[in-house]
Amino acid sequence: MLKTLIPTLSRLRFAIQLAMLFVTVYGSVLVGTYMAGKISNALPALSCAYDQMNGGYCVLIPTQHILHHRIGEAMVRAQQLTLSMILPLLMSFLAFFAFFFVLGKAFCGWVCPLGTLQEVVGRIGRRFGIGLRRLTSADLLAAHRVRPVKWLLLLGLVFLLPLLTGLGVTPHALGNPYCDICPSRVATTLLTGNTDQLALRVGDGWSFALGAAADFLIGFMIVGGLAIRQPFCRICPLLAFNALFQRLSPLRLVKTAHANCGQCRICSDACPMDIEEISQQAGRKAYTEDCTLCGRCAEYCPQDGTIRLKWGPLALFSSRRAYYKDKVRSELPDGSVKPLRFMQRDEAADAR
Amino acid sequence: MHRTVSMLALALASSLSLAQSHDRHPAAPGSAAPPWTGQALIVAAAGNRGDRTTAPYRPVGLNASEIHVFGPRGGEQAFPVEAGVARLRSPAPESGNYHWLSARAETPAHVAIASTIWYASNPGPAPVDLLRRIKNELEIVPDPLPREHASYRESEKWRFIVRYEGRPLAGQIVRMETERGTRTAFTTDTEGIATVLFPRDFPPDTEGDGHARAKAGFVLSTERQEAGRHFVTSFNHTYAPDSERGRSLGWGAVFGLAGMLGALPLLRRRPAKESSC
Repeated sequence: MLKTLIPTLSRLRFAIQLAMLFVTVYGSVLVGTYMAGKISNALPALSCAYDQMNGGYCVLIPTQHILHHRIGEAMVRAQQLTLSMILPLLMSFLAFFAFFFVLGKAFCGWVCPLGTLQEVVGRIGRRFGIGLRRLTSADLLAAHRVRPVKWLLLLGLVFLLPLLTGLGVTPHALGNPYCDICPSRVATTLLTGNTDQLALRVGDGWSFALGAAADFLIGFMIVGGLAIRQPFCRICPLLAFNALFQRLSPLRLVKTAHANCGQCRICSDACPMDIEEISQQAGRKAYTEDCTLCGRCAEYCPQDGTIRLKWGPLALFSSRRAYYKDKVRSELPDGSVKPLRFMQRDEAADAR
Repeated sequence: MHRTVSMLALALASSLSLAQSHDRHPAAPGSAAPPWTGQALIVAAAGNRGDRTTAPYRPVGLNASEIHVFGPRGGEQAFPVEAGVARLRSPAPESGNYHWLSARAETPAHVAIASTIWYASNPGPAPVDLLRRIKNELEIVPDPLPREHASYRESEKWRFIVRYEGRPLAGQIVRMETERGTRTAFTTDTEGIATVLFPRDFPPDTEGDGHARAKAGFVLSTERQEAGRHFVTSFNHTYAPDSERGRSLGWGAVFGLAGMLGALPLLRRRPAKESSC
């Protein structure tokens, strides 16, 4: 029964993504206001605090908030940076990385509500035959050219601007700049029927501009996501935040070199982040900062045991030729689905 | 009930202006009631910027000598009111966000109680136990409290439970007064719950969100004669304008559509190649 419902790693991941989307967007409806808070406080990030039906925690919020209000205030008064100022920031990071240690970057690929929404949009695109565009040198542009953007957003919008605002250098409206452009804020609140975050604040130029950027991004994500897989993930500062310590987490994808590597490139085709290094490299170099630990590369690797999803010494999933053959019967590596065909039971048995 | 939030709201209650004394209680120095209500309040006092370990609060309209702090982890501590202000700290065991503040003044025949909530901006337990705990004889208890980054907002409905010695009181009248001049009343249902509609009484041009967001005080109060004593209890805090104020959904939709249009070139049809190995 379980095998029928969840026959593949992808199906398991999608089921978890949908469950987490529900928890992170509508959690309080199910478990109550405060309990939803407790649950999503146990998640590393991106249960958006603008959405009052969820638990409301995202590590990027206290980061901006503390830099803006606490460190900035303390410095501008020429006071010492005492432990009472630094500690909250460190505690935010420590809490994040403690959970991150367990989940690793799997948060991005398995839990993040915005990631799930983009994946759903992508599935719709594949289902309706919209041609997939890739971030490769042969198509739009090489993925590695986009990679610095998320680091710039992390440094500029999460760290620098809130700190400068706390110091009084930049306007007060720039104290929370990443949240102001974050499309997750708009998407998750819209899912609860709240249009407040889509509406732009007029009367303040900075607030208007940042909100306009968020709305533009969500619009771009909805349409662009039909053709590009995970468009916002590629510039998400949380992915950069996660990448800072990705090598420390015991949950990781491991690839060993195989004679066919670099030839079939199916693993890179399957990767929703278009990481070309997976097919070309082995060991740590195969998985760049963009990896979200979704595990599709392991599912679509036709070589037994070449790619494994591991937690410490424990192999949670290993690539297998038989699994690959079964998998491509229903879905191609790029996510395209084969047309549904209804068969008689005996016909289906023959087909197998 | 819950609406949009402002991320930078620390949820410290705003300072409320000074004014007259409570009609039934002699006022202590610095305990003058604001002009908009005769009810007893506990309000945040100014002059604490930079020190986040203490929170200055003052009772107004109430001749209280101390403010009791009920901590999020079961701790309780009384802080003396000196020169009209009590400098509050989180009672041990520390750490947590939600703190219940209570001040009282009593005579053999009369008990006046003021209550509010202090958000200390620290992670900690949910306030379920804190709210369930009996802090005074007659209480108005929010059910639930707005979460840290949320707030009461105009046009929203919030529930408050009226209890005496922990027992919900049905049919109890709860009066509401706001700093913007609204005077109204609600009656508790059979479970002791008063569903309070926050009035839409901010001026039309008020900023609804962001750093310049306006706030105003409100106080809920109720009274009861019990065992030969007259109890008056109040719960005060602040509420904010509807977050839709000062926002344009039209402009939001325009930029959302612009993003969609910007992505349209990506949809030019390209044949998907099937990989093989």
